[in-house]
Amino acid sequence: MSATASPPAAARSGAARLLLAAAVFAAAGAALPWLIASQLALTLMTQAAINAILAVAVGFLIRHDGLTSFGHAAFYGMAAYLMALNGRFDWMPAEAALLAAIVLPAAFAFLAGLIIVRLPGLAFSMLTLALAQSLHELMLRWRQIGGGDDGLSVRLPARLFGVGIELFQSPSSMFIVCWIALVAVVALLGLIARSHFGLLTVAIRENEERARYIGYRTLAPRALVFALSAAIAGLAGVLFGLYNAFVTPGSLHWTLSGEALIMAIIGGTRAIWGPALGAVVFFAVKDAAGDLTEHWPAIIGALLIAVTVLLPHGISGVLARTGTRDRARTP
Amino acid sequence: MIQIINGLVYGSFLYVLAVGLVLLFGLRRVTNFAHGALFMLGAYVSHAAAAYLGFWAGMAVSVLVLAALGVVLDRFVFRPLAREEPIVTLLVTFGLLFVLEDAVRTIWGKDFISVAAPAALAGSVTIAGSPFPVYRLFVIAVAVVVAAALAIWLRATRVGLYVRASSVDPVTTGMQGVDTERLSALVVAIGTGLAGLSGTIAGPLMALSPSMGGYIIIDCFIVVVTGGFTSFTGAFVAALLIGQFHNLGLVYVPEVASVIPLLVMGVVLALRPQGLAGPGR
Repeated sequence: MSATASPPAAARSGAARLLLAAAVFAAAGAALPWLIASQLALTLMTQAAINAILAVAVGFLIRHDGLTSFGHAAFYGMAAYLMALNGRFDWMPAEAALLAAIVLPAAFAFLAGLIIVRLPGLAFSMLTLALAQSLHELMLRWRQIGGGDDGLSVRLPARLFGVGIELFQSPSSMFIVCWIALVAVVALLGLIARSHFGLLTVAIRENEERARYIGYRTLAPRALVFALSAAIAGLAGVLFGLYNAFVTPGSLHWTLSGEALIMAIIGGTRAIWGPALGAVVFFAVKDAAGDLTEHWPAIIGALLIAVTVLLPHGISGVLARTGTRDRARTP
Repeated sequence: MIQIINGLVYGSFLYVLAVGLVLLFGLRRVTNFAHGALFMLGAYVSHAAAAYLGFWAGMAVSVLVLAALGVVLDRFVFRPLAREEPIVTLLVTFGLLFVLEDAVRTIWGKDFISVAAPAALAGSVTIAGSPFPVYRLFVIAVAVVVAAALAIWLRATRVGLYVRASSVDPVTTGMQGVDTERLSALVVAIGTGLAGLSGTIAGPLMALSPSMGGYIIIDCFIVVVTGGFTSFTGAFVAALLIGQFHNLGLVYVPEVASVIPLLVMGVVLALRPQGLAGPGR
């Protein structure tokens, strides 16, 4: 935690460097659609970027709360369903609905968090899974609302935020939107991780009792991390809803939560960007598996076991160990 | 009346499955995410064995195969990972869940398989004026026998004493000269054997499919957390409670039934964060 000890000027330049790196990454990624002609590849990349955002949300929760969510699809699916339901019942303009689809899951997570972040880590993991599966069953069985197995189409106006809706539904432009969203999320979380709040939550994760003895309230910050993580999962769900214009109970299913968690574990959660890297590896392996995709669950299961046992800090952990510069800073 | 007995059937069934997790948590302080997959595997194994040997021998084969698998799991998963954070075991068993489901899907296919109740239990009796399948009463009887046998084993035998001591404090128990490693293998084998048993009795209650474990494990987790993790009595009460609410939910509000066990748990945890029978802080 040497960042607190470093002079403010250094901290400022660190933040500036982070934003500069984010800008470079955003620009480089945004250039990709001009280099890659294949619509199929762009579709895959868009999906990967959306899932990477979800994985980053899972990773942030592990990094700052020490809690492993097996049910983050709950917030992702909740956001997508909220958009679909708004299209159906016309509660509010679509732009407001997008915002609500991020804020409501976060608010829900905060309230639920006040109860469940107090539980030991194992119970938390089991309950997040239970929450997501219950919502999945709810949308599956409550046909009048969720449309059952067939799902719901997300009805959107022809123009959104002043631009045509096709921007969000063609892979070449949507990839840029999702990529920039991903980089922005990573940069924002990077700034939060360096802030007082970020350092406090890491301290609580390390030793909650000691943090309380120093005089900090520990429940609200932990619930807030959970809410922030849910908001990011909600953002991923919103992007998914915009892009697919369709949502099924599959977006709440535990296999999606599990995949996001596996991406986070493969990439490693010590670095904010680790899970995003994990998502890239995940999709690359999935693509390379080709004919074996019938046995895809067994492959990711085996991959998860191997990474958990052999690389406890994931790929980003290995990279951080080889690059000496970050060694002192890794919390 | 009938609905309350149905709730009792589901609660009994949940108890037989959940108690395996409670046993494991007591000894190893970890949770087995693959428990639902083992239950599913148990259902398929007994179904396959029953084709040659009949229902009862199929049940025995399933319990023995799953218990043997439990010993293997303990030796190669739980014991080597005992020094790591509990979450590591959770992640590894989560990976195992994917592998097991895929294996079952490859061997037996992903279609539903329905299983008939054994001839001796196929009929129905009249309870409060309506017919009720004998088989469902048998499920309750199984849970009562399991609960009684476990209670006697834990309270009245030396090994049971070791298990209880180890649940409270594994390190001190080990220092007193108890071989906690062997004890753990035994306890894990009993837990997975019970998963085989519950898989067998689930056959005639619900159709077999590779995803049956994923569905049931959720209620099972809710039972374990609500009961307070280490308490057998807590798990018993929680299983009956959740079974009852689950079933009444299915009858009266089928659309939202799936969230009811979760709400029950939320209420219990809001009042008692340590669960029904968990240790006070």
